Amino acid sequence: MPRAIRGVLVQCDPSIKSIIVKIDAEEHAFIVEELDDQTLVIKENMMTTLKMKLDEQLKETQNNDESSSDE
Amino acid sequence: MSVSTLASFEYLERLPGTTFKRLYQQPSTALAIFRRMLPHLAKTFVMALLYMSKPFPLTDLDLWVNSDSKRERDKALQLLSRLHIITVTAPSRTDPQTITLTKNFGESLRQALTGGGEHNSFGVPSNDPVSGGVDLAFLDEYARDQWEGILHYVVNSVGEAMRGGGQGPTDAVKHLLEAGRLVTTGRHSGKGITQAGFSFLLQEVNAQVWTLLLLWIENAEKMELDSVEVLSFLFMLGSLELGRAYSKYTLTDSQRQMLPYLLDFGLVYIPRSSSGYFFPTRLATTLTSDASALRSVAAGFDAASSAAGGAKGFIIIETNYRLYAYTNSPLQIAVLSLFTRFKARFPNMVSGRVTRKSVGNAISHGITSDQIITYLSTHAHPQLAKRAAIQGGPVLPPTVVDQIRLWQIENERMKATPGFLFRDFDNEKDYESCRKYAEEVGVLLWHNDKKGWFFVTRVEQLRDYIKSKKIK
Repeated sequence: MPRAIRGVLVQCDPSIKSIIVKIDAEEHAFIVEELDDQTLVIKENMMTTLKMKLDEQLKETQNNDESSSDE
Repeated sequence: MSVSTLASFEYLERLPGTTFKRLYQQPSTALAIFRRMLPHLAKTFVMALLYMSKPFPLTDLDLWVNSDSKRERDKALQLLSRLHIITVTAPSRTDPQTITLTKNFGESLRQALTGGGEHNSFGVPSNDPVSGGVDLAFLDEYARDQWEGILHYVVNSVGEAMRGGGQGPTDAVKHLLEAGRLVTTGRHSGKGITQAGFSFLLQEVNAQVWTLLLLWIENAEKMELDSVEVLSFLFMLGSLELGRAYSKYTLTDSQRQMLPYLLDFGLVYIPRSSSGYFFPTRLATTLTSDASALRSVAAGFDAASSAAGGAKGFIIIETNYRLYAYTNSPLQIAVLSLFTRFKARFPNMVSGRVTRKSVGNAISHGITSDQIITYLSTHAHPQLAKRAAIQGGPVLPPTVVDQIRLWQIENERMKATPGFLFRDFDNEKDYESCRKYAEEVGVLLWHNDKKGWFFVTRVEQLRDYIKSKKIK
């Protein structure tokens, strides 16, 4: 009997995926299933939280050139 | 046809036939639908059928229409029957197909055109002495204040503490805007304008009024107001005369219940001193007229933000992302501040910059780059348009347009699609047939043949397929 699991398919770069996996490692609250390097399934109700956490992580890792270009 | 007509159409077409029957008991409703909703050909058909006592053979109707306009004819007839204005008999071998106006619609429209009857459907002018000071200018001013207050609320929900005109809308209106998802008060994103809200802002006023009214009708059903009475009241408002006082006493109970809400929207004005009569404002009297439907989006927006509002375009944007907006309307400035970082403000203009952060901020509120670009080009200063015409280029600097699009892509680091993951098939054959079926119906998003898993966006068809195939 096949199983159907509700979720959100997330397609992204491997780098982004590894960050998501890292975020999930803390509580295991987000990922339903890792499918491959660029695809995973996320719990539907956790999507907004995940997006927020991902943005936070990205802000830390990327240098923000806003201040210099904003003059 | 304008956006508002389309929106109200969609709503009307969803109503059951019995609702139409009751709606058409009011001559004002029949007239409003006739003059606002129907294309010219449909109007011609209705007028021709109006005083026809016997059913009219469909083949005779074909003679009226040029043979190369068959598509228009079919479209008109389809629309008329969808709105339950005509009934076409089912095709049969013995009798030719005939067409008649539905009884209620025909009677009401005849009554609307020729008068007579004690229906009070077009409102009853009040005989009470009217307190002075209520003239057209006052009503326009009042309606504009109320409506601007609502628009301001939508714009300012982003959190920019920009002072709005008036006191802003009442709580009931705020709830309505939230229920309609024009603004959100989500836990994570905080208060904010939504994509729907932004599109709402860009519509012409008449369309905005209809959007809000339809939202309200949907909610009114929950408040146990009869949607037929609500609709016929709205259609009646559309036939009233601006600047005239109408009596409240001829209204039904639920219609009287509606008045406070319409007061909030600025559709009617009730002087505080009295309670016996009300004034419809321009927002109400143009509800079902063609005149306002002809206004463009930009003109509608200007009309919403300033009464005088002569200048159409006011935005200049340079290749270095600097933006100058020649306006002093708080509303327009508030809309611009959704995606611009303002630096300076002068009596007749504001200047600022479109930056990665400011655009990112707008995008996080669900506003798309295309909406921003459309807004900028719709409101581009005549100078920009003139230069573009001379050089034959686009109105906005291509670098800026491209960059705004790039900023949006940058923020979309991952593509998320809700759906269902299918796994654990018992054998490869079952997997293969299901995957193939999913692909055929166009729901397959991802699959891994080695694992025997796949992901689909919709499950209904596939579920039926699995059931019918008895895949265990």
